[in-house]
Amino acid sequence: MSKIQEMVAELRSTPGIKGAALITSDGLVAAESLDERYRSEVVAGLTSYLLMTTNRSLREGGLGQCTQFVLHATHGKAVFTTLDDSYLVVLFDQFADLTAARREVQGIAGRLRRATRLA
Amino acid sequence: MHLIQRMKIWKELRRLEQRAREEPSPTTFVDLGQVYINLEMNDKAQRVAEDGLALFPKSVELRKLLDCARRGLRKQRAVELRTKLTRSPNPKLYRELAQLQIDLGDMTALHATCQEWSVRFPDDAGAWLVLGQARLLNFYRDLAAREGQEAVRCLERAVQMDGEDVQARRLLGEVLYRIGAVSTALDHLQALQVHEEQDPELQALLRHVSSLPDHGSDVDSLLDEVEEHGCLAHPSMTAAQPRASQDESLGRIRDSLAQVAEIPGVRKAAYIKGSRALVKGAIRDGKDPFLRVVRVVAKATHRFARRMDIGSASKSVVDGSFGHICICVYGEVLAGVQCDNGTDLELVLAELQEIVAGSLYSGTHDA
Repeated sequence: MSKIQEMVAELRSTPGIKGAALITSDGLVAAESLDERYRSEVVAGLTSYLLMTTNRSLREGGLGQCTQFVLHATHGKAVFTTLDDSYLVVLFDQFADLTAARREVQGIAGRLRRATRLA
Repeated sequence: MHLIQRMKIWKELRRLEQRAREEPSPTTFVDLGQVYINLEMNDKAQRVAEDGLALFPKSVELRKLLDCARRGLRKQRAVELRTKLTRSPNPKLYRELAQLQIDLGDMTALHATCQEWSVRFPDDAGAWLVLGQARLLNFYRDLAAREGQEAVRCLERAVQMDGEDVQARRLLGEVLYRIGAVSTALDHLQALQVHEEQDPELQALLRHVSSLPDHGSDVDSLLDEVEEHGCLAHPSMTAAQPRASQDESLGRIRDSLAQVAEIPGVRKAAYIKGSRALVKGAIRDGKDPFLRVVRVVAKATHRFARRMDIGSASKSVVDGSFGHICICVYGEVLAGVQCDNGTDLELVLAELQEIVAGSLYSGTHDA
């Protein structure tokens, strides 16, 4: 198992996290550890769509780029973190405490950033 | 299509894409989307229509383009599902296909799908629920007694097969009280309480239904009366709620927005419903990029959540060098804030949620 895959799997073991994946900016899955209800290509495609749409509207408005995106829905939550040329997406159940999980996500995001730069 | 033709089309597409970027107008977006539709690239046509609608939310042509693209996507998905079902049938795929056929208005195909579904999975109540939903739609549209009878029959069958099916029981309870069978409806709605005792909407519905006069339990004759009079016996809960006057509601939203704008760190605040917006803070005019970002992000999150099957997107926070953009959304109503780093985001989101929920309860329709 690669180091990046290990880090993604480590994140997945945090309580409340239903899946984590590292997606390249063009929508390909670099590493994933997802609950069986999620299909990696669907997560990748939708993440890429969401962040590209958001970034495009921010750029057109002269606001720069999105660094992190937190989404709450009725049956789940998601946190997207922009790395250099990729996105880390973490999916939670609806009961997860994002404030508590945020430190864990940021820690892994930092390590992934370093690892992807080295790779 | 040979290579030269294909190259010509790609060249034309590039030209139209550039035109849409440089001279954005409903026509340039529609022209581009139409080419994508002709090429059966409905996903791209849908993206073009959505981008166009974010800029020109009132454009009728763009809405038509979006409908057309969505219809094309549904048809493509229906074909994929049909192929999958032939290989490995399962109730989840049947449900998705049947819902698509309802959306496409293809009743013949829907009946065939539900028939096949119930033959292959006789213990699954899903086929009866979906058929009931389709009949119910027709009944509410035309108020035809025959459609109502079929809807009630299908929903009753679904409830008999799976007594814990909350959706079937709720739909059945609702149609029964709307036609006047209040007592029977109450039985179904009270049975729902076992599963959803904390649901405030169900409590409100029970209170509303309990206050209505009962016209008996002969469903067939009640449906005939509805058809004869051309109207339902009782109004829905929403229609029966007293509505605050438009001015009053707008005033309340404006006050709440001003309150949000006063939170330390908040720079811009907006309440958006359809194409209209109420704004507070450093917003120049209706073309302020913040308003567009809020609209686009809200739509994208809605789509993400729906496709990921995690319900409806309700709150989102976008971080960047600009600070934070917080958005709270419910249906077509949304409220957003742009604030600096260090702002109390919990407080901001709670206030935005209050604004959105408040505007829904007061029944404001023209903000």
